[in-house]
Amino acid sequence: MAFGRFLLRGLWAKKARSLGLTFAITFAVMTVVTLEVTSSGLEQSAAAVVTIGKADFTVAQKGVNDLLSSSIDRGELARLRAVPGVQRAIGVLVATERINAANPVFIEIGINPADLAAFGVTVVAGHPFAPTATDQVMLGWRAASNLGLHVGSRFHADGTWNTVTGIYSTGNSFGDSAAMFPLPAVQGYNRLPGTVTLAFVKDDPGVSVHTVTARVDHELPELTTIQTASQFGRADLNLVYLRAAVTGSTILAIVIGAVIVGNTMLLSLFERTRELGLLRAVGWTRRRVVGLLVGESLVLAILGAAVGVGLSFAVTALLERLPALVGILHANYTTSAFIRALATAVGMTILGSLYPSVRAALLVPLRALNYD
Amino acid sequence: MVKAYDRGFRALDGIDLRIDQGEFVAVTGPSGCGKSTMLHLIAALDTPTSGAVLVDGKDLRSVHDLSAYRRNYVGLVFQLHNLLPNQPVLANVEVVMFGTHRSAHERRARALDLLARVDLAGREHRLPAQLSGGERQRVAIARALANEPKLLLADEPTGSLDSVSARHVLELFQSFHAEGMTVVLVTHDHGIAAAADRIVEMRDGRIIGGVARTGTAATVPAVGPA
Ligand SMILES: Nc1ncnc2c1ncn2[C@@H]1O[C@H](COP(=O)(O)OP(=O)(O)OP(=O)(O)O)[C@@H](O)[C@H]1O
Ligand SMILES: [Mg+2]
Repeated sequence: MAFGRFLLRGLWAKKARSLGLTFAITFAVMTVVTLEVTSSGLEQSAAAVVTIGKADFTVAQKGVNDLLSSSIDRGELARLRAVPGVQRAIGVLVATERINAANPVFIEIGINPADLAAFGVTVVAGHPFAPTATDQVMLGWRAASNLGLHVGSRFHADGTWNTVTGIYSTGNSFGDSAAMFPLPAVQGYNRLPGTVTLAFVKDDPGVSVHTVTARVDHELPELTTIQTASQFGRADLNLVYLRAAVTGSTILAIVIGAVIVGNTMLLSLFERTRELGLLRAVGWTRRRVVGLLVGESLVLAILGAAVGVGLSFAVTALLERLPALVGILHANYTTSAFIRALATAVGMTILGSLYPSVRAALLVPLRALNYD
Repeated sequence: MVKAYDRGFRALDGIDLRIDQGEFVAVTGPSGCGKSTMLHLIAALDTPTSGAVLVDGKDLRSVHDLSAYRRNYVGLVFQLHNLLPNQPVLANVEVVMFGTHRSAHERRARALDLLARVDLAGREHRLPAQLSGGERQRVAIARALANEPKLLLADEPTGSLDSVSARHVLELFQSFHAEGMTVVLVTHDHGIAAAADRIVEMRDGRIIGGVARTGTAATVPAVGPA
């Protein structure tokens, strides 16, 4: 018989204990994975606005809590455009609005129609809005299809009824789920005349992005440059706090899980002292005894990780349907979530079985045999 | 050799015993006289308070890998059955062969072989709780033999058996002895003891009879004096 089967049979014989341990691991993994995928989903949606426009890098106000409260005024935009190596900088105003229960944070982008092509927007139906119109809108094709609107439809947003002049595509799912308005209209409705949220910068050919961002950071110290969504925290403190909260909760879940695993294993150690003493008496090495205990918990860890990930899928799906969270919470299943799941499960079982294993290894065979 | 427990109680009070290779020794004596204690010291499950156990001339205190000694040199049948309650008979025999050179396949084949030898063919997949006392004792004997020990230590293997089963177990021990194994058998039963080459009698932690071998002089020491 293989050692593995021997081990599995031992686990099977003690179903209640094995189940208890698996549950502890499952709950820790479920918590960690759910936190990870929902926070990373939030992060992704929050960072999404910087990925909508085609640019070498994006510029925002430094140190704001929320990227959408970033504000760049006319003067700053002009200074940005004057930085050597900057070919062009497209200023856009980004705002969110509640359209209906299914779209509580609908993204609205104010942009000059002249900048649309450079921003990466392709008009797929109809035509762009007029530069200074106050009742015209273009919908991303996803938004149009979700809302059941088409060219010529009326759409209430940005404080008024607008006519859909065109449908556009950006190749970015966030961009395609948004709406675009003439820049002055969005500025007017949000009482931010002359202000933009973000500037999307295209470099002069042959100049390295790094050189240009360094210049911008130096010459406009009140602004910050963002190249990838992961640099997003530079501009959005909320996300930094969110990350910290997730990390903290993850550590807490692992520690609580490890304590439960350790406690269960320690109790079972008292119950199994005779068995382990017998194994030592018939010539098992300390290493093999420890191998048995750690092997048992690893099997349960992997089982718990699998069940935990499955449960997390279910829990996230439920959370996404929660009326208060519809349209806000998007699960983002990344590989890192699965790695975290496994790391949590294995980490907490190793941590939890450390002390019991040492105790088991130090058992004196005879004393353990006579133990009751 | 002395073994003192807590509060200085001497379970073994200066014993000096030599067992030769290939000998069949029976140890008798009243309850509590230290028979099991002596066996456990020989099996390296415990250490003497003073004195030493020498095996093939080597002091056990200087043996680096006692696990290997327990696993490969000694076969031990405990006074109480001490089987793993959650593992079937077959696994209870195979368990001592983990960490040896045998493959999973060989372990299984050997365990089946040994179980057949102790008349347990067909009982391999039962749990210990589903066996009679005598059957359990025979599983323990099969387990003790698994790694072809040079030294078989048995602590009252017939204690809980009726006379027919006890006879059967004794015959097993005699056949192992005939194959060249050194056998040390603790027993209360004088009929059983009479089958041995030598009877060592103990009382109050001392050996009071059978210290020397009655037959021909020994050549190779197996377990030496303290
Ligand atoms: N762990 C221990 N702590 C203290 N005293 C012990 C311990 N183990 C055994 N003893 C004592 O040592 C003495 C010898 O015990 P041992 O088990 O060797 O007797 P035995 O000859 O095998 O008896 P039996 O025939 O009843 O099995 C007994 O008096 C017993 O009470
Ligand atoms: Mg005894």
